[in-house]
Amino acid sequence: MHPIIRLVNRNITISLNPGFLIWQVIFPLIYIFVAGFAYAPLIQQVPFGAKDLDYPAFLASGMIGFNIMNSTLVSGIIIWNDRRHGMFEQIMSGPFTRSHYILSNICTIGVIGLVSASLIALVGYPVFFDSVEFSLITIPMIVFGAITGSVLFGSLASIISTRLRSSEGFNVIINTVFLFFAFVSTAFYPAEGAPEPLRSAFYLNPLTYLVDIIRAGIFGNITEFVIIEMVVLLGIASILFVIASKLLTKLDF
Amino acid sequence: MLCIDVKNLSKSYGSIKAVNNLVLSVKPGRVFGFLGPNGAGKSTTIKLLTTLIPPSNGSLSILGIDAIKNPLQVRHKIGVVLQQPSYEPTLSVEKSLEKYGMMWNIPRTERKKRMEQLLKDFDLVEIRKKRNEDLSIGQRRRVQVAREFMHDMELLFLDEPTIGLDPNARRNLLDYLKNKVKTGLTIFYTTHILTEAEYLCDEIAIIDEGKIITVDSPDSLKTKFGKEKTIKIHLLEKNFDIQSFLSGIPDCKINFESGTNIIIHSEQSELVLLKVLKILNDNNIEIEDLSAVPTNLEEIFLKMVRENASDN
Repeated sequence: MHPIIRLVNRNITISLNPGFLIWQVIFPLIYIFVAGFAYAPLIQQVPFGAKDLDYPAFLASGMIGFNIMNSTLVSGIIIWNDRRHGMFEQIMSGPFTRSHYILSNICTIGVIGLVSASLIALVGYPVFFDSVEFSLITIPMIVFGAITGSVLFGSLASIISTRLRSSEGFNVIINTVFLFFAFVSTAFYPAEGAPEPLRSAFYLNPLTYLVDIIRAGIFGNITEFVIIEMVVLLGIASILFVIASKLLTKLDF
Repeated sequence: MLCIDVKNLSKSYGSIKAVNNLVLSVKPGRVFGFLGPNGAGKSTTIKLLTTLIPPSNGSLSILGIDAIKNPLQVRHKIGVVLQQPSYEPTLSVEKSLEKYGMMWNIPRTERKKRMEQLLKDFDLVEIRKKRNEDLSIGQRRRVQVAREFMHDMELLFLDEPTIGLDPNARRNLLDYLKNKVKTGLTIFYTTHILTEAEYLCDEIAIIDEGKIITVDSPDSLKTKFGKEKTIKIHLLEKNFDIQSFLSGIPDCKINFESGTNIIIHSEQSELVLLKVLKILNDNNIEIEDLSAVPTNLEEIFLKMVRENASDN
């Protein structure tokens, strides 16, 4: 078995615990089925391309991107835990290189991101199935969004984990950053109609691009703007991945 | 072929030389002890030898492989138990062993077999389902050392592996290692506990301030550096004149602890002891207890480190 696959196996084993699964599944379900239907009387229709979506359908599709972002926290947690509990050094003294370690983390978040997206798509499907328009183009688009988004947020979490040693610092920073991403984005509400400064802030946030791509993939609304968003997402993911890799390569023992 | 062949190995951090022109060689099938005070450069040396950090200068051959050019090749053949704890907090003891075996690409059936054996050998059966984060320091250390035996290796680096172990677990580990050496394993062993080194090691190097002061077998070290013996005398009653009675005896250093304890250090301990006994007898001073302390590695170690410090 290739060293990267062995490390991915190990990463997934240490990450899958009841707390993480609850975080990954129960929270998005609460958002979709509680917040979605509770806000539905206030936000009756959300215009999306040529369609008008129900708010629960809009929110459920947003939750896929939100969940991908949350799941990539795993990457930061793995690196942070490995450093804190001596496993980084232990792995590096074994039959692995730093490249193996970095790539295994990326693969782990890619796998977890895809599984999370599928899981939420599956449970959210009854909510948005009326408006779904899957095609040979839209499905690869969703997969692209899930993987690129995972790499982007996973790299960001990795960068934070390499810079911080205390658990308090790590938790505060990561939760603040991810909370900002979650709520200053189009995951929960559309950009249209939001006050102009907030609307601009939405588009400084990579989660908005990820959510827009996933949503466009689910509801078959591929526009020029979405393609630009895909390019931007890929660009930011590449830059953050390079930075994360460099920082991981320079980690001292 | 030497297991470890190091020539002029140095590691500097800015102006600080953590390891300075290290030269050492370790033959296969032996336990090589690496002793030194805190901050002497032991852990840095282990990190260099295990390819965790690159040297600033020098050459390093591990198991016949150039470790500077081919570190990954070396790491496939060695085992490492570092000084700091390493564990996955959420995994159980048995899962830790099993996953570690998987990481080393050990086939599933073989790793199950090894895991069961190691659980027994390291007295971990009762805690096999416990999560690492719930273990005591000693239990965690046992898991950490046991885990390393999940994979095959030719050379094992152990950096103070008995930290946190109780005397029983410590002795069990040392005996386990002795048995492994009989099967051909070579061990590079650092410790602060010199009785361990004396019990386990075939050869010992003492390092201080990044430099090796001496390398030899424990017995040879004792012969070479252990001429000085210590005699302890406990008097039956306090005698405040004892210091003046014994002050004229040459070739020895006498410490008077309270009025009843006398500690004598001398390279000619037999002659000195005869003189002391005669003086005590002449002055009707009764002895309650007398002992000659055999030279041990700890005394040699302390002496060498002190001498090295004063030389510098």
